Amino acid sequence: MRNAYLRYAGIRLVQAVVVVLLAYLFTFVVVSILPGDPVTNVLRDPQNGFTEEQIKTIIAAQGLDQPISVQLWTSLSGFLVGDFGVSMRSTRPVTTLIAEVLPSTLILASAGLAVALLLAAAIAYGTQFLPKRLGQGIVRAFPSLFLSVPGFVIGLVLIHAFGFQLGLFRVIEPDSAWATVFAAVALGIPISAQIAEVLIANLDHESGQEYAAVARSRGLGRVRLFAKHLLKPSSLPVVTVIALTVGELLGGSLITETVFGRTGIGSLVQRSAAAQDLPVLQAVVSLAAVVFVLVNLIADLFYPLLDPRLKLVGGTERRPTSANESAAPAPGSVTG
Amino acid sequence: MSVVSLSSAVQAAPDRRSALRPRWSPLQMSPTVALALAIVTLVIAWSLAPHLFTSQDPVNGVPAHKLLGPSTAHWFGTDHLGRDVYARVVYGAASSVTSALIAVVIGVAVGGLMGLLAGFLGGWVDTVLARLVDILLAIPRFLLAVIVVTALGFDTVNTAIATGVSAVAVFARVMRAEVIKTRQATFVEASFLQGGSRWYVLWRHVLPNASRSVLTLAVLQFGLSILVIASLAFLGYGDPPPASDWGLLIATGKDYLRWPWLVYAPAFVTIATVLSLNRISRWLRETD
Repeated sequence: MRNAYLRYAGIRLVQAVVVVLLAYLFTFVVVSILPGDPVTNVLRDPQNGFTEEQIKTIIAAQGLDQPISVQLWTSLSGFLVGDFGVSMRSTRPVTTLIAEVLPSTLILASAGLAVALLLAAAIAYGTQFLPKRLGQGIVRAFPSLFLSVPGFVIGLVLIHAFGFQLGLFRVIEPDSAWATVFAAVALGIPISAQIAEVLIANLDHESGQEYAAVARSRGLGRVRLFAKHLLKPSSLPVVTVIALTVGELLGGSLITETVFGRTGIGSLVQRSAAAQDLPVLQAVVSLAAVVFVLVNLIADLFYPLLDPRLKLVGGTERRPTSANESAAPAPGSVTG
Repeated sequence: MSVVSLSSAVQAAPDRRSALRPRWSPLQMSPTVALALAIVTLVIAWSLAPHLFTSQDPVNGVPAHKLLGPSTAHWFGTDHLGRDVYARVVYGAASSVTSALIAVVIGVAVGGLMGLLAGFLGGWVDTVLARLVDILLAIPRFLLAVIVVTALGFDTVNTAIATGVSAVAVFARVMRAEVIKTRQATFVEASFLQGGSRWYVLWRHVLPNASRSVLTLAVLQFGLSILVIASLAFLGYGDPPPASDWGLLIATGKDYLRWPWLVYAPAFVTIATVLSLNRISRWLRETD
């Protein structure tokens, strides 16, 4: 068992490193080989007012006159030691730019995740305890509804209702406590839907199991059955879903930060995309891939320890993701 | 991309309807499905022939009538230039629907082909494609769409392409799983034994059986694509005004939050459309 686990961990680790490197390569290919030449588009844009001399200096400084293979090598070796080069827009190191805005995004993302978990738990609880005829159908429709609302609309509605109508926060102070809370709610709502869908499916499944019937027949109350028997097996697969939502949190924060006017990774991406500042974009995308792969690796490594029922065969096991993965499309990854 | 094996499965298997059940008939259709189909039909009709649904001009407004609330003359009110918001939503449907369609076609074609080859050929093809899918999944979907649209240049068709690229991985996964499931079926084996060539079996047996799940996913992704494209338009990566993409309408409306219908009306239409598509996708899955 122990050896099997180590083997499994080793294989997953190697896979993770390979995926991160390939993801870096992929973004490099996307930004440098796709048709359209953003670099010269920006540099030669009369609005930016670069002289021919300055353009040459920038191109030389960025190494853009080198052959593509040399560019790739410079960029990849920089990435391996955590150096992402220099921003084209502000001529400051990309690492500094990211380090400046990272804390704000981390706060927003963790608050958003907390909101998502609370909301998902509340919805799942509602589906088990509300009377069938009253309300349960409505609660069951929530995840589907949450997945159908563009993320920015939730933000706008919250700003309109709580910022303008109730005056809880001022739009010009996006980092105040209330503004952060509502930004987190806007970010968390779509993500709660994915967690809730899995949680509900698992709760429904578990409550139909024989052990649940036995517990009921022994006269166990619904609340104790839920808390003592159903909750644990149902929430284990949620670990997986949470790991998978890391990407959504990042993508969602891009929109939420723009809507609420916060500074963060999202607003950095937004500004860099507008200015087609490719070094920054490539750095953010590869860091996002690193974070995603890392979080999922951790979840992968912990899952067999958390769930002793999971048998490791051959070291290639994956955590289960959703209740009906192979037969039907997963709940869907929503951004926006 | 490997198979989940739990000793005592945590997951509920989706109940497959037994073959004895009668086929679906319109009378049994639940009212929500009927409503969803009606909404989607209406939106498609808007995008095909917007002039049949409104006589107002979506581009040139009447300045004297600016920022009017919803009324019988202007169902969704008017915007800051006195344009009828309902007319702008109706005329914007074509752009939103077409771009979502482009995105789904890219996802189905590229992702479907990848999944088909990976599942059917197996071996090193499967390994290579599985890694590619892993890469695509590792990059947050929305960020992937943003970087692709930045590389291609900002306009609505490019946002559609970017959204399609970001959906490739999901289609590849589902298609691969379905193909592998079908490949092991007895009738596929029988077809091989009767001398069917690989490509014949693929075309005649595997593809039709896998297509149902992909169809369900395509409908779901159609709704998701509308959302992603709206978000990209909201951030300003699509066509600039006077285009009236739904996301763009909401983005313009957010500067006039004192006249909330400018946000709520297009948002309501977007939500209703996506919700309907999700319901239809679920219904297709249930009537499988």
